[in-house]
Amino acid sequence: MIQKNRILQGIAASPGIVLGPAQVLSPREGGAQVSARLLYSPQEVAAEQERFRLAVEQTAEELKRLKQEIPRELQEHSHILDLHLIILRDPMLLKETLRLIQEQNLNAERALYQAFQKIKELFQRIGDLYIQGRVQDVEEVYRRLMGQLTGRGSRGLLGLSRPAIVVARDLSPAETTQMSASQVLGFITERGGKTSHTAIIAHSLEIPAVVGLDNATLEIVSGEEIIVDGLTGLVILNPDEGMRRTYAARREEFGEFKAQLAQGCGLPAATSDGHPIRVLANIELPEEVGLAQKYGADGVGLYRTEFLYLRQRSLPTEEELFEDYRKVVAAMAPAPVTIRTLDIGGDKFLSPLAYPQEMNPAVGLRAIRFSLKEQKIFRTQLKAILRASAFGEVRVMFPLISSLRELQEGRRLLEEVEGELQREGRSFDPGLTVGAMIEVPAAVTLAGLLAQQADFFSIGTNDLIQYALAIDRVNKQVADMYQPLHPAVMRMVQQVVEAGREAGISVAMCGEMAGEPLYIPVLLGLGVEELSMNALAIPLVKRLIRLISLGEAQEMAQQALARTTVEEVNEFVNREMDSRFAEIFRFAHSLANHPGI
Amino acid sequence: MEPKKEKPPVVQKELWVENRLGLHARPVAKIIALAQQFDGTTVTLEKDGSKASARDMLSILALDCPQGTRLVLKAVGPQAREAATVISGLFARKFGEP
Repeated sequence: MIQKNRILQGIAASPGIVLGPAQVLSPREGGAQVSARLLYSPQEVAAEQERFRLAVEQTAEELKRLKQEIPRELQEHSHILDLHLIILRDPMLLKETLRLIQEQNLNAERALYQAFQKIKELFQRIGDLYIQGRVQDVEEVYRRLMGQLTGRGSRGLLGLSRPAIVVARDLSPAETTQMSASQVLGFITERGGKTSHTAIIAHSLEIPAVVGLDNATLEIVSGEEIIVDGLTGLVILNPDEGMRRTYAARREEFGEFKAQLAQGCGLPAATSDGHPIRVLANIELPEEVGLAQKYGADGVGLYRTEFLYLRQRSLPTEEELFEDYRKVVAAMAPAPVTIRTLDIGGDKFLSPLAYPQEMNPAVGLRAIRFSLKEQKIFRTQLKAILRASAFGEVRVMFPLISSLRELQEGRRLLEEVEGELQREGRSFDPGLTVGAMIEVPAAVTLAGLLAQQADFFSIGTNDLIQYALAIDRVNKQVADMYQPLHPAVMRMVQQVVEAGREAGISVAMCGEMAGEPLYIPVLLGLGVEELSMNALAIPLVKRLIRLISLGEAQEMAQQALARTTVEEVNEFVNREMDSRFAEIFRFAHSLANHPGI
Repeated sequence: MEPKKEKPPVVQKELWVENRLGLHARPVAKIIALAQQFDGTTVTLEKDGSKASARDMLSILALDCPQGTRLVLKAVGPQAREAATVISGLFARKFGEP
């Protein structure tokens, strides 16, 4: 009797649900058993070299054929096969193998193996992990060559005689590109994470994928019916009738859900009782404006400006900065763009600023502190920001404000720069608004005072939570104590909102918390009226905003505030959200981290 | 008497890797495609004393050039100037990447 409804848990890598037969790909040849033999005569050596050259030609043919067979929807990935063709003829692989056959009298397989081992060692010394990772491509070519030499050929994928769910230990980039959306219903791999190549390809094909599923190739048998739930990472083997029905319904709902999200994302969002909420995008590069617009951002709520300083050896010039800012501002106009001034310390610069590495950079000389110390750098940036303000609505904000003086100093410099621009005859927006980022507990305490001198607040939750709770979330020992709904954090948000309201200035939020569907009603209830987030989260957040009234949100926030421990708050919010927004949250939990929905 | 051979032109240029992901496979493939257009001209990339031919993918990758790396390009041969110009242009455009 085959057990019904066996459930395996992996990592959700591409959303969607599918039911179909499994096709398990056998593990590939390992490098372990490479035949080794010595050659005794020059004729033998020549013949062996010839055999190797032939294998190279055959592999080249194979790669070219594969390239032609790539389905149209994956054409953009065909460069991987070009890359493999280049590697195939690289001297380190080709010449070196021929040399080893000649000089060490090795057979082709052994020579190739040694040449590859040498490349592997060389790559292990590469410091940059991304570049080091390219050794996978060399390995792919090595396997193909070895397959030709031993006559076993490479593993065929493409033997899919009917549409199936592909199950493999892992899939190489070249292999995934050969899969056609019409034949492959879904992917399951034992290795890989959310950002693995399989996940990316599955996204472009819009087919579900579960990765990191240990022992998948042992647990799943070819031909058996399985369900892949790319939303939760679950795989169900031999589903019974009831399970099939459940998932068929879920699949349909997910389709409708996706359609609904796409529908409303371009329109402004308001709560069900008509309170408008601005939903904006966080961006880092001018190129990301397209993404922000695609997902319906009402503006840019956080434009991070560090990139140009980290990228080049020389400090960016006013012109370079201006060019970038202008692009973003003009593209988003008339929607607002909030530019955050430099948020790094001197030790991060590529340019020759003589700042030593800091022991504890989170509380070191960075952000507005650094800008006020290095006024020349700061003025150049302010000038570029002001000039960009002639092309649309620009707001500027200073990060890590911890005292009134910092805000005053920043404003004073801004005014000076405005004077300079006037003398130079350049245009800018004289009404440019200036905000303080609230991310240091001291700024929360002083929010009432700061509000007198700021045009708006933006709460940076990532830092605020870190400083308020004294938690470094990169530190695994304490990472789970990083809790956005901690009673202390909620009270701080409330305090900032009240200070803003009293002074008549707007309060925005731009940390990760602002883009997490689970927290949205509580934040609305606390009075936050502007949320800025990763563009991909916008459609879902807008949908959620439209489903709740401000009154309900306030009620939820009050109840959350009434609870005294973060555990109780989390428990309450989770329960409440699941029951109120069942339709969204059955997907949203799993979608929150999914790009491209 | 043998005709006097002219010394082939030599061009040196300083290059900076400015794209975010550094010299990974795709940018290198672009460099190789350009370098191969100049038969009879050899182009090398040098980083802190280590050299790689601009035609060899694995040697260039092994130079380990993340964002911010400084390289010296040296082109020797009849088309040294052209080769140096187009390849340094590729670096300047950041290989078309962010």
